[in-house]
Amino acid sequence: MVAKMFKDVLTRRSLLGSGAAVAGSAAAAAILPRTAFAQDKVVKIGFLAPLTGPVAAWGKPGLDGCLIWGEWINAAGGINIGGEAHSVEFVAYDNEYDPAKARTGATKLIREDGVKFIMMLGGDTWPGAQPVADRTGMLFSTLLPSDLSPDTTTLIAPCEVHPIYNVTGVEWLADNMPELKTAVMCAQDDALGLPSVATYLAAFEAAGIEMQDDPLLFDPATTDFAPVVTRLISGNPDIVCLDTCYADYVHPICEQLFQQGYGGQVISCTADFYQQIVAKTSEEFMEGFVFQFPDFDDPALNDESINFQKPNEFYAEYASRYGADQWGAVSWEYASIMDLWKAGAEKAGSAEPDAVLAAMKEGGTGLHAFGEADWWGKDLFGIDNALVGNWPIVVIEGGKATIKEFRSIPEWYAKHGELLKKHMSAYGQMWDQRT
Amino acid sequence: MIELLAQTGLNALYAASYTALVAVGLVLIFGVMGVINFAHGELFMLGAYAIVAVYADWNLPYLVAVAVGMTFVGIVGLGMERAFFRPLRDNPLGGLVASIGFLMILQALVSMGFGVRMEHVPPVTQDVIVITERVRLPVFRLAVILAAVVLLACLWAFLKKTRFGWALRASAQDPEAAALQGISINQTARIAMFIGAALAGVAGALTAPLISVNPHMGHSVIVTAFIVIIVGGIGSLEGAVIVAVAYAFVHTFVTTFFDGVIADIVGLLLLLVVLIVKPTGLFGSTDRA
Repeated sequence: MVAKMFKDVLTRRSLLGSGAAVAGSAAAAAILPRTAFAQDKVVKIGFLAPLTGPVAAWGKPGLDGCLIWGEWINAAGGINIGGEAHSVEFVAYDNEYDPAKARTGATKLIREDGVKFIMMLGGDTWPGAQPVADRTGMLFSTLLPSDLSPDTTTLIAPCEVHPIYNVTGVEWLADNMPELKTAVMCAQDDALGLPSVATYLAAFEAAGIEMQDDPLLFDPATTDFAPVVTRLISGNPDIVCLDTCYADYVHPICEQLFQQGYGGQVISCTADFYQQIVAKTSEEFMEGFVFQFPDFDDPALNDESINFQKPNEFYAEYASRYGADQWGAVSWEYASIMDLWKAGAEKAGSAEPDAVLAAMKEGGTGLHAFGEADWWGKDLFGIDNALVGNWPIVVIEGGKATIKEFRSIPEWYAKHGELLKKHMSAYGQMWDQRT
Repeated sequence: MIELLAQTGLNALYAASYTALVAVGLVLIFGVMGVINFAHGELFMLGAYAIVAVYADWNLPYLVAVAVGMTFVGIVGLGMERAFFRPLRDNPLGGLVASIGFLMILQALVSMGFGVRMEHVPPVTQDVIVITERVRLPVFRLAVILAAVVLLACLWAFLKKTRFGWALRASAQDPEAAALQGISINQTARIAMFIGAALAGVAGALTAPLISVNPHMGHSVIVTAFIVIIVGGIGSLEGAVIVAVAYAFVHTFVTTFFDGVIADIVGLLLLLVVLIVKPTGLFGSTDRA
């Protein structure tokens, strides 16, 4: 406990510091051979995500993953830009999932820290940073392509095509369990929940699964989910869909489903820290739970089509530092984005945002973590700035997340794209409907 | 439909129980000290973290953890009274601002001590009373409801039957007259703050295994508690209990039959209507309004 407190105090202090370089990177730099890099050859990357607050589960684990990535890259000689080795340093700013703080953070990272690239979670915080991106031309990434629009050409979604990949889970479910005919869904009423609702509605319609009721929206401040679950299962649905609920909601909802005696299929975008859900319910209850984010110790990730450096070792290192039960949806994602950025910078021979962006998008294709992918999105986002390819379907078996299959998002879209656009429009989530 | 109504009623009873504990504590502090304690939600959060530390991390029995949580948060309340509210007694706005500052300090301290991520609290029991196939009452939820009833009954007995209770009520009605009768204002403030904080702490401790425990969990609780005490009448303990039950039923039923967002809107509309029709609240007195 004392050790835990000490560790967290350090973490917290580093967060509260005025954008100080993250301690892990500095420590790694200190133990590396001094000759590896000229002292001034450091490329700084901004990490502008929620590190505290209710959405921290989709920021902090990503920073933790980036620290490992940075240490490994620096230990291997850094990033070769224009023939010179550069060490990489992450500069974190906690935006607390607050648009105003995102704006302040973006300005500070660019003006004071001189970062060359800023990674964000996006969602509600993107409107805060967008004016800064438009004014400075800084290259930003988001995990949520629903932030994309033609208004900002320097925003890319190179890793996670949330929520579009959710269609693969529903498609897999329909193919493997055709007896499931009805579904219900709940979601928090926010910028993360609503586009996901539209996507799941399209996916269920495409799969011939009937929605028993309109999606049940709840206030993000909800703490007691018993009423939500009572309503959800009142019609005895075959499938309960948890949309893209935050971990703080997925856990109590699952616990309520268990306690209120639900025995059907559950599907969710994420199941962060799912071991805790298993502990609060039972292995039997969680058996067959479908979601979209694998543990990186999965042997399926060792396939040569996977573009992520040593995924199993990465997971082992993450688990040894932070605990396996702290692995979450975003633990690998920001690191994966850094793989793409590194390749772009090395290809461009420059860390400047416009040069890296042009190199990344050259030819209209790129290497996504889960295989080759296309820069895509004009239909839905008004701009081809999302890197879209395959995505895994993950099922909990024996209390452990297991990749069952990779499925192609573009193939699904080619068949059912109009359905997706119909539901996105109905929820006001098309790029030209967003304000 | 009957089963759905019954299950929703059970859900509402549980929501009413912890809401009443939090709201009554808030009312008690305001009634005696005249301070709006914005940090009350964070006292609820501290109670939940006591469970994380004592029950989840140290593996001590759950009831021991609840007792530790209640006592610890009560002592934190005593500290708040001495450090902030007593020096700012003649400045109600100062007390309010100090409590806002203190809530941020508490959030930061807990983040430093435990991290920002949701904490895992193992279930105390997974037993469920199966009334019918569609009507189920988890044993632990029943225990929370019963604990809240017992605690509120004890508080009522304390206020009505003991000298300290009389002193508290006298101070709440007229602090100057109470002081002239020899009642120590400092002592009644300490007792009120200890009990009020301990009630928030025990509510957090009791519900910790059922909700997401994180440093910001106090926010939603305090919003609900403020709605309850304003509608009930600021300073009215009976009003807080009655409105907590009524609000929980309205909110739970609207969530179940419409959705959670509409339930929040209905709650705020109720608040608005009461403020327009009876600004002192349903059970409030003009003095405290």
